[in-house]
Amino acid sequence: MRKPDGKIVLLGDMNVGKTSLLQRYMERRFPDTVSTVGGAFYLKQWRSFNISIWDTAGREQFHGLGSMYCRGATAIILTYDVNYPQSLVELEDRFLSLTDTASTDCLFAIVGNKVDLSEEGTVESLEKEECGPRLAGGNCESPKVPKQVQLEDAVALYKKILKYKMLDEKDVPAAEQMCFETSAKTGHNVDLLFETLFDMVVPMILRQRAQGPPQTVDISSYKPPTRTKSGCCA
Amino acid sequence: MMSTKAFTLVSAVERELLMGDKERVNIECVECCSKNLYVGTSDGFIYHFLLEEKALPAGTATFTATKQLHKHLGFKKPVSELRAASALNRLLVLCDNSITLVNMLSLEPVPSGARIKGAVALALNENPVSGDPFCVEVCIISVKRRTIQVFMVYEDRVQIVREVSTPEQPLAVAVDGHFLCLALTTQYIILNYNTGASQDLFPYCSEEKHPIVKRIGRQEFLLAGPGGLGMFATVAGISQRAPVHWSENVIGAAICFPYVIALDQEFITVHSMLDQQQKQTLPFKEGHILQDFEGRVIVATSKGVYILVPLPLEKQIQDLLASRRVEEALVLAKGARRNIPKEKFQVMYRRILQQAGFIQFAQLQFLEAKELFRSGQLDVRELISLYPFLLPTCSSFTRSHPPLHEYADLNQLTQGDQEKMAKCKRFLMSYLNEVRSTEVANGYKEDIDTALLKLYAEADHDSLLDLLVTENSCLLTDSAAWLEKHKKYFALGLLYHYNNQDTAAVQLWVDIVNGDIQDSTRSDLYEYIVDFLTYSSDQALVWKYADWVLQKSEEIGVQVFTKRPSDEQENSFNPDDILHCLQNYPKALVKYLEHLVIDKRLQKEEYHTHLAVLYLDAVLQHKPSASDKGAEVTETQAKFRRLLQKSDLYRVRFLMEKVQGAGLPMESAILHGKLEEHGKALHILVHELRDFSGAQDYCLWRSEGRDPPYRQQLFHTLLTMYLSPGPSTPELTVAAVDLLNQHAREFDAAQVLQLLPGTWSVQLLCPFLAGAVRDSIHTRRTTQVALGLAKSENLIYKYDKMKLKGSSVRLSDKKLCQMCQNPFREPVFVRYPNGGLVHTHCAASRHTNPSAPSPGTRT
Repeated sequence: MRKPDGKIVLLGDMNVGKTSLLQRYMERRFPDTVSTVGGAFYLKQWRSFNISIWDTAGREQFHGLGSMYCRGATAIILTYDVNYPQSLVELEDRFLSLTDTASTDCLFAIVGNKVDLSEEGTVESLEKEECGPRLAGGNCESPKVPKQVQLEDAVALYKKILKYKMLDEKDVPAAEQMCFETSAKTGHNVDLLFETLFDMVVPMILRQRAQGPPQTVDISSYKPPTRTKSGCCA
Repeated sequence: MMSTKAFTLVSAVERELLMGDKERVNIECVECCSKNLYVGTSDGFIYHFLLEEKALPAGTATFTATKQLHKHLGFKKPVSELRAASALNRLLVLCDNSITLVNMLSLEPVPSGARIKGAVALALNENPVSGDPFCVEVCIISVKRRTIQVFMVYEDRVQIVREVSTPEQPLAVAVDGHFLCLALTTQYIILNYNTGASQDLFPYCSEEKHPIVKRIGRQEFLLAGPGGLGMFATVAGISQRAPVHWSENVIGAAICFPYVIALDQEFITVHSMLDQQQKQTLPFKEGHILQDFEGRVIVATSKGVYILVPLPLEKQIQDLLASRRVEEALVLAKGARRNIPKEKFQVMYRRILQQAGFIQFAQLQFLEAKELFRSGQLDVRELISLYPFLLPTCSSFTRSHPPLHEYADLNQLTQGDQEKMAKCKRFLMSYLNEVRSTEVANGYKEDIDTALLKLYAEADHDSLLDLLVTENSCLLTDSAAWLEKHKKYFALGLLYHYNNQDTAAVQLWVDIVNGDIQDSTRSDLYEYIVDFLTYSSDQALVWKYADWVLQKSEEIGVQVFTKRPSDEQENSFNPDDILHCLQNYPKALVKYLEHLVIDKRLQKEEYHTHLAVLYLDAVLQHKPSASDKGAEVTETQAKFRRLLQKSDLYRVRFLMEKVQGAGLPMESAILHGKLEEHGKALHILVHELRDFSGAQDYCLWRSEGRDPPYRQQLFHTLLTMYLSPGPSTPELTVAAVDLLNQHAREFDAAQVLQLLPGTWSVQLLCPFLAGAVRDSIHTRRTTQVALGLAKSENLIYKYDKMKLKGSSVRLSDKKLCQMCQNPFREPVFVRYPNGGLVHTHCAASRHTNPSAPSPGTRT
């Protein structure tokens, strides 16, 4: 088994669609999924790098495993369901603390999934005003309920995370760049999400390599992390 | 979920061998070290057995255990753990919180009595840090609260090297290098006993479940996690494999690559570490020990010991393939890479890829099949041989044994479904076409190309022709029979041609054109044959079919002679032979003669005359009645005239005879011209045809390349004719004026003026006269200049002469002739302008003898 060069972890409440997002991206399909037990991962070859993408179990029962999965992660995708506001709240309450073990310059992406279930108009008008054309796109099929969580809520969470991590907004990618609204069912924005992240992760891998970290972390010589000036993808 | 058979469960030690009928005695622990099997019991006994393994043909094995010894260590407590340290020949026995060192064979405690006291559980470090081969590192959970101790155990002594305290009470321990993996009361942690640094792994609840900490390899552990998960964790606290999903109440876990085996109350379950899938479930009641020892997995109830015998990987893979589980088989095969020698692995893996390819193929998953065939470097003939009749009859191929698939042929595979069959054939077509030019084809090009030809022919595919006209290795006999069967006669011809059997090829095509056999591949097959013969260097072949092509079409057929490649001309056809052959084909004959005379410019009188005569015949045929005389010049007539004018080789008089009286005045005029009978020629043109511009052109044509007087003569003749007395018409006068005005330079004005009638106005002849006068003046002036120059030259000579005459020459005996160097005997001599004197005869001979030294010239 090849050692992955970087790790991306999907976190989020149960039933927000983490597994579906990953399967949509990796296998180009949207099968019925069952509740993930424990976790699973895929290896993705991106240019010359192997990136492992971990799908975690959202169930409370497996919550304790989150820290271990996140350990050393290069990027974390916090996933919520745009139609279920509590799932966004859970990200802050339950999942954010799991990311303490991630790499010090870990990237965060906030992803609102299942946009196909909400009303198109809301999505579009909001996106036009707030996010520009990159995130725009109509993919909904039938009359839907209005979207329960707006993208600005995700942006607000992103900024909270930066505060929590004591990061300067100038050192990390802008919130607009890191908040996505996706549909694993239609594939809307799924490729964009993963590939944007891969492109951001690659320079981090190179930087880590340049710093010559050992293949295994030697916790005996553990030093408080010194934050490097992170100019990634500025 | 479909299951795999990865292990079989066989009994190792029958309960009779152990405690006989002592009902209350149980097996507490097991240890196995190569052939030595140790069992610890609840009544404080240690049993030592020798295990004999007997392999069975099915890939499994049976075991027989022979009891060697049993010994009671003198404790009233059960033997709770046994660990062999084979390098020291010691068995570590944990009993009554004390670890005793006993001899592995005699089971006698070491004489020194060395032991570790106060141990609840122990773990051997399989990745020791000391590097001392005569020492094992043992890690114990101490009876002291929250304490782990690390010992060095030698042959007959023990030494504590470290004591670490843990945040909570440890319940289970495994060790790798400096890293302890501990199950504490509420969580699993990694603890570096050297530095004291610890790393939380994940929480669990020890009240609800029994923790498992199992070292599975270098720096990696397997832990029982929440929800019945088997979690993998490295010493860095990272999970590098996805967890496996066990039942909630797993008692023990073991590793036998690539499987994780777990034991609960009812079952032994087998998961693959490669894809985390559960692969096998074996019912097993009341099991309470599951451990692996150097790759041997032992499971025990309280009464009996059993061994889980792994099936050979290859067998497992074959089983998977047999149940069409390609992905899993490949994952398992790939996972086995590091456990099998490279050479052996490659052979095996390649075979598996090929088998997998056939499975995908049978499911019409062609894309996947192709990739598998490619990466498995399949001998293409394996695939071809599935299709009935595609391999050449002479092919030496036999399918690999054991077979790569279960199918006799495509009919069986598709069960006669024509649509599937067609799909398979299309796939083979594209596949063969892809590989035929790659190294995959090396050695079996004939088989591949022949098969491809058969497929194309059968499917009426356009590429059949492409295949045959480019480099190919189609076998002749096989392919020919097949093409004939499918009535691909045109293609068959191409095949013959490719195999240098042009005669057979052409005969086939001729048969098609003649309608003897049917093949509509080419509608222009006749032209194709003509073209083929044109470029064929086989003269005999061309002769053989010359008549046939000419009969079909003289104009096109003659191309086999006229359009032959120009570089072939050496030792080419003899024109006379061809002419002979064309005797009966007048149109072809003309074409060929034109080819000889006009294209090839052969300067041979016969050809030119022959062609001229043929033209003449044609012209005469075309106008049997001279009714519409001169209305329109036919193409043949134009060609005839052109030939008469351009060629100097034909027999003029011969033709003249034929033309005369045939009502062909223009042709007569040309022939007269050829005979220099300009008067006659012009007479015809002027008086018979009244073609004045023709007459002018005649003058120009005939005077081409001649000197000006000849030309003048010709024009004067024409002018005279115009002006000649007789029934003079205004037409002729106008013609004369035009002639003079347009060709002023061709006339001698003085002569012309004498000819012109006095009645003509100057105005009429203005252009002519102006030109003539200008010419005349010009001539006068140039003549005057020439005259002046001549006069001055004459003057210079005169001067020279005077100078020479001015001095005398004295002739004496001493003067010698400059030529012959002899004295002068007579008073006559010749004097050269430079003063040199010579004999008269010497001077005369000088002109005849060019080698004589030149004494100088007069000028």
